[in-house]
Amino acid sequence: MTIPQAAYKVLEAIVGPDYISQDPIDCEAHTPGPNGFETDLGVATILKSPGCVIFPSTTEEVQKIVKTCNRYKVPFIPISTQWWSGRGAAKVEDALMIDLKRMDQCDIDDKHMFAVVGSGLIYSQLQEEAMKRGLYTTIPGGGSQVGVVANHILYGSSPLNYRTCIANRRILGVEWVLPDGEILRLGSCALDKDDYLWGEGIGPDLRGMIRGFSPGWMGSMGIVTKMSVKLVPFQPDKPMPVGISPDTAVELPLKRINWYNFILPSKDALVKAMYEIANAEIGAGLTKVPLFWRAIAKANNKEEFWELWDQESEETVAAMNVLRVLLIGFTSEKQLEYEERVLQDIIVKDLGGKQTRTKPTDESWVKNADSASMWMMCGGYTSLEFDFEAISHAVAKGVDCSKLKKGYTPPLMKAYGDQGWFQVGDYGHLALFEFLTYQDPDDEQKHKVDEWSVALSKMNIENRYYTAQLASHKPLFLTGPAYGPDYHKWMIRFKEEFDPDALSNPPGPADTDLFIQEAEWMQKVKDWPAPKIEANKNPKFE
Amino acid sequence: MPEEYVKFDLTDMKNFEYDMKRCVRCKGCKWVDHIYMPGATYSTRCPSEKRYLFDSFSAWGRLRLALSLLNGRIEFNDRFVEAIYKCQLCGACDAGCKRNLDLEIGSALESLRIKCVADGFGPMPEHKAIAEKIEKEHNVFGGPADNRDKWAKGIQTDDKAEFVYFVGCYGSYKMQGIPKATANILKATGQSFKIMGSDEYCCGYPLYSTGQIEKAKKAAQHNIDTIAKSGAKTVITACAECYKTLKVDYPKMFNKSTSDMGYQVIHLVEFVADQMEKGTIKFKNNIDMRVTYHDACNLARMSEPWVYWEGKRKLYGITEPTAPRRKGTHGVYHQPRNILKAIPGIDYVDMIRIRENAWCCGAGGGVAEAFPEFAQWSAEERLEEVDEVGAAALITACPRCKDNFSKAINASGDNIKVMDIAEMINEAIK
Repeated sequence: MTIPQAAYKVLEAIVGPDYISQDPIDCEAHTPGPNGFETDLGVATILKSPGCVIFPSTTEEVQKIVKTCNRYKVPFIPISTQWWSGRGAAKVEDALMIDLKRMDQCDIDDKHMFAVVGSGLIYSQLQEEAMKRGLYTTIPGGGSQVGVVANHILYGSSPLNYRTCIANRRILGVEWVLPDGEILRLGSCALDKDDYLWGEGIGPDLRGMIRGFSPGWMGSMGIVTKMSVKLVPFQPDKPMPVGISPDTAVELPLKRINWYNFILPSKDALVKAMYEIANAEIGAGLTKVPLFWRAIAKANNKEEFWELWDQESEETVAAMNVLRVLLIGFTSEKQLEYEERVLQDIIVKDLGGKQTRTKPTDESWVKNADSASMWMMCGGYTSLEFDFEAISHAVAKGVDCSKLKKGYTPPLMKAYGDQGWFQVGDYGHLALFEFLTYQDPDDEQKHKVDEWSVALSKMNIENRYYTAQLASHKPLFLTGPAYGPDYHKWMIRFKEEFDPDALSNPPGPADTDLFIQEAEWMQKVKDWPAPKIEANKNPKFE
Repeated sequence: MPEEYVKFDLTDMKNFEYDMKRCVRCKGCKWVDHIYMPGATYSTRCPSEKRYLFDSFSAWGRLRLALSLLNGRIEFNDRFVEAIYKCQLCGACDAGCKRNLDLEIGSALESLRIKCVADGFGPMPEHKAIAEKIEKEHNVFGGPADNRDKWAKGIQTDDKAEFVYFVGCYGSYKMQGIPKATANILKATGQSFKIMGSDEYCCGYPLYSTGQIEKAKKAAQHNIDTIAKSGAKTVITACAECYKTLKVDYPKMFNKSTSDMGYQVIHLVEFVADQMEKGTIKFKNNIDMRVTYHDACNLARMSEPWVYWEGKRKLYGITEPTAPRRKGTHGVYHQPRNILKAIPGIDYVDMIRIRENAWCCGAGGGVAEAFPEFAQWSAEERLEEVDEVGAAALITACPRCKDNFSKAINASGDNIKVMDIAEMINEAIK
């Protein structure tokens, strides 16, 4: 399969022959799966190989490519790192994959504390450049290998959002090639294309449009080619890398940064501790850690993990209320000393918590985030529930998710009633809750994992839980009417307005709907009305 | 419940199907360990992916292609073969992957090459030409086999010694300064040694690494027999390629473990580091120079002993008995650095990407022979790093690396000096 040859010739003239290929081997190699984020789920059944792959190096090239796609009606999929493999893959035949890895600009304005980054730049690159200048960004749960631009559009959640808010609220200026090839600039660069200082621009703030409904458009609303993102002042002692792979970490300057682990006597005490710490306005990160992460950290391989994890029970998991706290003396060593005393007062003195040992290093969150190791235990992993809501919401939802999971275990990993993990955001005003899905992708009952995904949606609707992943993992026509006001209609109207021919990563934002429509095993759980989804057209609704 | 019986036998690609299926495209094979990420530049570890961009030239893309080949979605063709061989097999992807996961990337890629040759599509014509030379004269240059020990004229060896010095083709035929220096160093410590002379065949690296396993096995068997006949228990070499081939690839070819081979392999730097501890070697001469060290892939992240395994893979991919995993943790990293730092006058500086994260010189895996322009491009990227840290000399412990860097320097006119560590040590003890 390939794209029209007239289009290929034009595209080749834009980037040069070394940066484009329609060879079936190259196209096959650019096809995600069978494993990766989402591609071990049923949605992988709708993925196709692209018909052509291209590597632009400038915004001008991207614009010309997109205009060519419009001229010849070639669907296109933009990717930066393709980490979210399920969405960064064609769902229609004969599509053009636009790989943005060459666009890895990183210009930091130290004085005004922001970075102008290209779509190909990843987090660990930006973090290192920021830290060289006494600044930092927040490494997200997606991992340090994810694209800064894509992740800022998505949401960009990290335990360090406790002080900084999530990344998608730190977007400043944006350069955006719309689905028809026009360039839209947001923030201060709307007035001066080289001025990326500020996020506010003339007229309405269109950053909401770039993010779509919470998780971004996943490439179905054109291509962001450049973005300025806010950086935050760090403390002066740079954490230094130590160790040899796989045991590498950054050594913390302990007078300035330290992690603290506590075991609280009950879940109520743990929640109270979170609120009290936030109320005291101390801390740089607070997380409730699932017990199996401790087993991951201790194990050298999956066999050791299972040896450790199989020693647990519902009782031991329920009794283990682990709170992990990060303190940073941003302004001084004295700040850290003060915060440490307050922390001890709250947790040990007032709430009866017990402090346990922590390493003087950081493996995840300061420079690195080991998202890839999530696949180590079972071979399959996806984050199917993710919320931004209150701490109390996270606790209640964890209980319900855990109960629901029992009906789907196996094939889901035996979790002994684990109730997910959450991190506190915005000084206690938010909890970023996540309930993770682990399974063996070769399990003969693997279709139950897809059913589990829909069951989670229905549970959320029934129990009136908010979920941040409405338009990504969830069926648009199930969640849209329930979450309203009719957000699915808004999404589709936007899409029709900007991309009437459905060329930008179709059928987004209705990929999950297409999969459910096509998968025979999903018909027994599909009990909501939905229009017929065609992969190469925008969805229609009454 | 999924369950299968698998082996670390590289002649059947199916043994690595799990590893191909479980790649999550995290690109740990591409990026420098994020903990050590140096910033926006020098941030990747795979020459092939950086040079050619397409996923077909990356570990994750090649795994996808190998899996598609197994599943019958694609067949070998020219582009596929090009993608397979435009790769140094430098092991950066394997070590990077194992930072987080337990996948056998390196073995899967080697297995793909073996299948490519078995199915009649590989290796590249240049690799076949070298195979012919090895078959005829037992060395990669096609020089007369009898000339192999010409470098040793006037050097006294000891037939009863417990050490056999495996010189390698580059030392024997092209860079005779290295074996001469090595012999001097051994003598200076009082270590007697013997050589194999014309009975030393090419170690087989150019054959094995290009998938020509049957030819590689012939060369290997000859060398294994010769070592056994010599009565030596220790094989010492100053060549990183020979080191890894004798230590890792020989057992791999015969489905054995390194510990079953009946000999131990040491590199000169391991020997010298040991002598430093014992106090039997002294660096007397001042060498006033700012130097850096290049980790040769075959001495560094790829040099851990091979442990043959076969067993069950069960639910979640759990292996029984537990499969051994070589993660690149125990490569020969510290010894060469300790040696260089101990030489008076030397101002040692590390490059930006070091040890398991090091950037390959570009010569390995048959690339220097079949794609010299790519080999030179890779070397140039590494030489930029040498410039970046302000080193006047680049030291390596592999004649192939030295050769490739020298070619790149000759082409660019750069003034960086390239030396083998044996030559540097020899200068220091004179």
